[in-house]
Amino acid sequence: MANAKQISVFVDNKPNQLTGVMALLKESGINVRALSLADTSDFGILRMVVNDTDKAEKVLKNASYAVTVTEVVAITIPDSPGQLSRVLDILGAENVNLEYLYAFTGASDKSVSFVIRVDDIKHASDALTKGGIIQLTEQDLSE
Amino acid sequence: MSNYWNQEIECMPYEDMKKLQSECLVAQVKHVYENVEYYRNLMDEKEVKPEDIQSIDDLHKLPFLTKADLRDAYPYGLLAKPLSDCVRIQSTSGTTGKRVVAFYTQNDIELWENCCARAIVAAGGTKDDVCQVAYGYGLFTGGPGLNGGSHKVGCLTLPMSSGNTERQIGFMRDLGSTIICCTPSYAAYIGETLHEMGLTPDDISLKAGIFGAEPWTEEMRKSIEESLGIKAYDIYGLTETSGPGVAFECSEQTGMHINEDHFIPEIIDPETGEVLPEGEVGELVFTSITKEAFPLLRYRTRDLCVLSRKKCSCGRTLIKMRKPMGRSDDMLIIRGVNVFPSQIETVLIEQGYSPNYLIEVDRVNNTDTLDISVEMNPDQFSDKMKVMQEQEKALALAIKTMLGINPKVHLVSPKSITRSEGKAVRVIDKRKLHD
Repeated sequence: MANAKQISVFVDNKPNQLTGVMALLKESGINVRALSLADTSDFGILRMVVNDTDKAEKVLKNASYAVTVTEVVAITIPDSPGQLSRVLDILGAENVNLEYLYAFTGASDKSVSFVIRVDDIKHASDALTKGGIIQLTEQDLSE
Repeated sequence: MSNYWNQEIECMPYEDMKKLQSECLVAQVKHVYENVEYYRNLMDEKEVKPEDIQSIDDLHKLPFLTKADLRDAYPYGLLAKPLSDCVRIQSTSGTTGKRVVAFYTQNDIELWENCCARAIVAAGGTKDDVCQVAYGYGLFTGGPGLNGGSHKVGCLTLPMSSGNTERQIGFMRDLGSTIICCTPSYAAYIGETLHEMGLTPDDISLKAGIFGAEPWTEEMRKSIEESLGIKAYDIYGLTETSGPGVAFECSEQTGMHINEDHFIPEIIDPETGEVLPEGEVGELVFTSITKEAFPLLRYRTRDLCVLSRKKCSCGRTLIKMRKPMGRSDDMLIIRGVNVFPSQIETVLIEQGYSPNYLIEVDRVNNTDTLDISVEMNPDQFSDKMKVMQEQEKALALAIKTMLGINPKVHLVSPKSITRSEGKAVRVIDKRKLHD
């Protein structure tokens, strides 16, 4: 099972930076499945899960963007109280260090998905599998 | 195959050189005193007569010329020959105030081009080389100077001028250029473009580059040498003294030999004007002893550097000047500390960043601020904010260690700082100190 891949892009903190990235993805017919933007006063890091990571990486690199691809955990859980807490408990019990996470639309309106960035992805993934949490693969996200 | 363009002069024992210099100086002072009213007045004010100058030991008695004098005397005030004897005008870009125009007789052009020929030969150039001149042509001395030197050596000369970098690389590949002459920042840009085009140094035939007209660092030399697969040689000159070729680097790459049969160098204390002994840092001063039309005596360059007569492994006896540590025009005084952009450049390259940066100085609430925008290194990019902020902090710390003052470092996207095809604009000083 291939873990989900996230593509991150360095963007300057000034007008029209996000527009530039999105225009390139649009031209290449790439669909953005999940997105988050972390920023400082100087720059931002745009993190995305897209339906074709390799293509997105190529297109952005050709346009001189700084890009990095990392493996992340993507999960789908029911959209009801206590579900995320359960996931965090599983990771916490295994001492998995969580860097950041962000939510995106689930496969149905009864579920919600998350991208979770951890340092030890195998450890996290095994723990979640044992805990019965549904993980999305690269294939799931490319559809 | 000789390694020298003019072995007799380039390897002349110092005693003989001194004699030659003294003869030329005495004649030159007489020529200037008789023909240049502006300098005659300066000498009269100082009560120095041409007869007081008997050898180069008397050089210190002469008054200095500064850029301000050149402005006052613009355009003809320092001309020493009738205009009908002049064949060429070159000019500075005028970035630091009013432009300077320099005049040349045919003999002046000859001596200038011969100086450039010495530089090309010292960089390994022969008549079998293809020399691509990517300095700007026109009033700027870079293109015409190296073009003339290249002709003298007999190289097949490509007068490309600067700009249109992909075409430069196209010609380089099609015609097998072996030597490139341009500004160091443009050389770095050509290297970058080459790699972007998916090419390596193996795809071109360059072996040497002759780079000057702006300050550059040892680190930048290494990075250009790697990206183009060449040896990079420094060349020095100013429009006021003729142009590039006043001094040039040899195979040892530890400083530039000054063509002292034409230009006598001195190092002075910039505050007092006193001549400093060899080996001390001070302001470089040149006296043109052979030029006819525009012969400046004791011209203060505002370049800070060191002279050395240490024996050079190349066999040349011409005195060497170390790479200027900065030009007083470039020097910024920030919170009372002298800052040269070249110092910042050194740190950037050491830390793995590209030498493309922008320094912005401002004054907020009576305190100077120093902001440096640096292109982030795509190889060091991380999706973790903490990692990126640490990179910014580490760079700011390294710069602080070098300068002694705290900068604010801003990482910006790769290739987002405007590249220059001539002299790079790297400093914006927003302080209004003189209003």
